[in-house]
Amino acid sequence: MSVETHAHHEHPDVVGSRNRLGVILLLVADIAFALSMMFVYFYLRGQNVNDMWLPAATSDHPAITPLSASPGWTVTAIAAFGLLAHFYGLKGVRAGNQTQLKLGSLVAFVASAVALVYQFNTIATAPFTFNDGAYVSCFYMFAILNFVHLALTVFISLGNWNRSRLGLYVSDHWHVDIVRVWWVWMVVSSLLGAFALSYP
Amino acid sequence: MTTVMSKSVSAPGKSIIEKLNVFTAVALGAISAIVVWRLSLAFLPQDADSALIFSREDKITLLSMCAWFVGFMTGIGALVGPFRWLMGKDLSHEENMFLAGKDMGPKRYFRYTTDHKVVGIQYLFITILIFFLGGTLAMLIRTNLGTPEGGWLHAQAYNSIVGTHGILMIVGTIIMVTGPFGNFIMPIMIGARDMAFPRLNALSFWLIVAAAIPLLWGQFIGGITTGWSAYNPLASQAPLGMDGYIMYICIFAISTMVAGANITTTVVKMRAKGMTWNRTPIFIYGTVASVALALPAFPVFFLSQVLSAFDRALGTSFYNTKLGGSGWLYENLFWLMGHPEVYVILIPSLAALMEMAPVFTRRPLFSFNVAIMGIAGISGLSVLVWAHHMYISGWAPLLNAPFMLTTELISIPTGMLFLVLIGTLWRGRLWMTMPLMSIFALLWNFMIGGITGIYLSDVPADGFLHGSMYVTAHFHYTLMGAGLTGALASLVYWFPKMTGRMFDKTLSWISFWMVQIGFNVAFVGMFMVGLAGQPRRVESYAPTFNTANMVTTAGAYIIMIGMLVLLYGVISSARSGVKAPKNPWQAKTLEWTVDYPIPLENFDVLPTVTSDPYGYGKAQS
Ligand code: HEM
Ligand SMILES: [Cu+2]
Repeated sequence: MSVETHAHHEHPDVVGSRNRLGVILLLVADIAFALSMMFVYFYLRGQNVNDMWLPAATSDHPAITPLSASPGWTVTAIAAFGLLAHFYGLKGVRAGNQTQLKLGSLVAFVASAVALVYQFNTIATAPFTFNDGAYVSCFYMFAILNFVHLALTVFISLGNWNRSRLGLYVSDHWHVDIVRVWWVWMVVSSLLGAFALSYP
Repeated sequence: MTTVMSKSVSAPGKSIIEKLNVFTAVALGAISAIVVWRLSLAFLPQDADSALIFSREDKITLLSMCAWFVGFMTGIGALVGPFRWLMGKDLSHEENMFLAGKDMGPKRYFRYTTDHKVVGIQYLFITILIFFLGGTLAMLIRTNLGTPEGGWLHAQAYNSIVGTHGILMIVGTIIMVTGPFGNFIMPIMIGARDMAFPRLNALSFWLIVAAAIPLLWGQFIGGITTGWSAYNPLASQAPLGMDGYIMYICIFAISTMVAGANITTTVVKMRAKGMTWNRTPIFIYGTVASVALALPAFPVFFLSQVLSAFDRALGTSFYNTKLGGSGWLYENLFWLMGHPEVYVILIPSLAALMEMAPVFTRRPLFSFNVAIMGIAGISGLSVLVWAHHMYISGWAPLLNAPFMLTTELISIPTGMLFLVLIGTLWRGRLWMTMPLMSIFALLWNFMIGGITGIYLSDVPADGFLHGSMYVTAHFHYTLMGAGLTGALASLVYWFPKMTGRMFDKTLSWISFWMVQIGFNVAFVGMFMVGLAGQPRRVESYAPTFNTANMVTTAGAYIIMIGMLVLLYGVISSARSGVKAPKNPWQAKTLEWTVDYPIPLENFDVLPTVTSDPYGYGKAQS
């Protein structure tokens, strides 16, 4: 027997707080994952094994220079814009303004999609091959896993917008509150990656 | 079933939900894998002759395995919920009842069923299956080691059998208590109608099924020749079978995270009215501590394997020293997960036995608070000891002493849990059942396992013992002697609630004694050869080790017979055992207040709790 089937017996606040805790706990796992990535980056950077963090030029290979950190910050900025838009929508629904909710969640969705495309582009146009040393490996690690994160965000924010559009958040809106929790973490994790890549 | 189906429901996804089951899942998974395999064979470019790393085969393998995974999960119905959310058409009451398996009969065990009792039985089944497979492999290993020259198995096959046995058993022991009993018993024990997130519960189970196939698949493409720890760079040079291991771990890690969030939320938010924290049974603490510890630990393992996959299939260099990577990086990631994980395995078993101790001594648990402090202390310290697995790897020798200290500190909270059990037994009126005997067995086995652990945590001693059979014996004493013993006791203890029938007493005793005697024979022999210097994971060995190895092999056969007796006991008792009364052990926790068969929602009226569950009289010494 599922809890959802009981939702009509239970107050939305009860269901909402339960779901919120569940999401936060899943984020604990995701945070552990992100912190491990930071560990990998700074460990390999600190070790610089065989001087291959950023390999020097050889007879058949030019030196590897780190990518400018700006793509990392740009994608974070786009995501942060999405977060703000989501915030705006949330404020709207809290004040009973459905139009503001619809607008905010639509903009948030668009921002996530733009960030996804941008992140893809960064990966596709990176001037490296996969075996260009440890820094390059870490660059791909951050970029690819951030891409996966953004893909999830696109799914979530699309759903959030669609449900707002259908007027599902008129009586209660705890889904929108929880989606914000995800957005905040999305931005923070992207920021962690951008931060790391700024210290090649 | 008929009532549900005959209701006309307008929602479009409904018919899909009804059609999906394990067969559609396997079919869709297999088709997806084959299609992706053919496509990637046709379209992936060849590795250049000058390539540093040949990765095309790994790409094909990993892509096909991912396709299996996605196909299987789609086919079982895992995506229905999320997509219905996306479309804004949340599942209706009828659909949720259908998903919960209402009036469906045995078919519900083959579906994405959300009822926690169904999930508990499914977990029990897969745990038994894993132990059966892992045990068979163990017997192959021991048979090969019966004579020094080996050669009964092909050396490469032998290596893969060792690695597969190891990782199967690790996964089996991780889920053996929190899976069957954490799902079936725990919600009833806290007075809840189900888990907090029933669909996630089904998800965590079916992910394990999905994970199993890549591991099996790996056996046919070179096997898992690295041992269960899959150290890099060894793993990046291993055959394609390694990709099966990688996928297995990644999918299993997701399952662990989902289950951890679900179980924790259930306990925090859904305990019955009046069940304050100091009235919450100790088993609940053990379950939560275990899954909450796994929650941050398994993502590290997950990442370590994602990077392994990158190294193999893309040619990155996380672990490849030539290109700037580091094997120590892998070891750190692995053991950052690996040591907490051993307590993920141990704690729920210990807690289950602590739950049974008051029942079979008719006394309150001796110091509930010390028990909780012990569990908390172990959980906290367990994340600070990982490098005791790396003393002689050469990584950070300066840190060896601090890690020796933290490792030895863990003995303190562990000792607390010992005292709780002994204090509860002390002058109790013992009711000699198999679960009670298991407490004695645990005290004995874990004493040996724990004390040998202290020798291993000593850096100079470990310089000699590391990599020997001594380590293998140590962790079998802890994982099997302590962990599995608690899980088997749980099976006998909760069997009446899960099947409505008592576990056959004679069979439980025969199997108990055979397993425990066989176990101690087998692994004392292994300590001896380890001390004498026999390395672990070898296929043949010097003749001087022969006698003790034969003793170990003989012990292993005794264990096997004991386990087969137990398996027979499970089957025969479930089919034709004595019908169980509602509360055969006269225990005071809530799961014994519900009748068998337990109704879909467990309780008609949710219970209210007014005291702790250990009110068997005063604790007198
Ligand atoms: C809770 C029960 C325990 C379990 C389940 C457990 C499990 C394990 C496992 C699985 C390994 C071997 C890993 C491998 O190399 O494949 C291991 C090794 C080790 N254990 Fe334990 N252990 C337990 C308790 C302890 C205790 C209490 C201590 C110390 C006080 C300890 C100290 C060690 C050390 C130092 C090693 C590394 C040995 C080496 O590889 O050289 N263990 N343990
Ligand atoms: Cu350890």
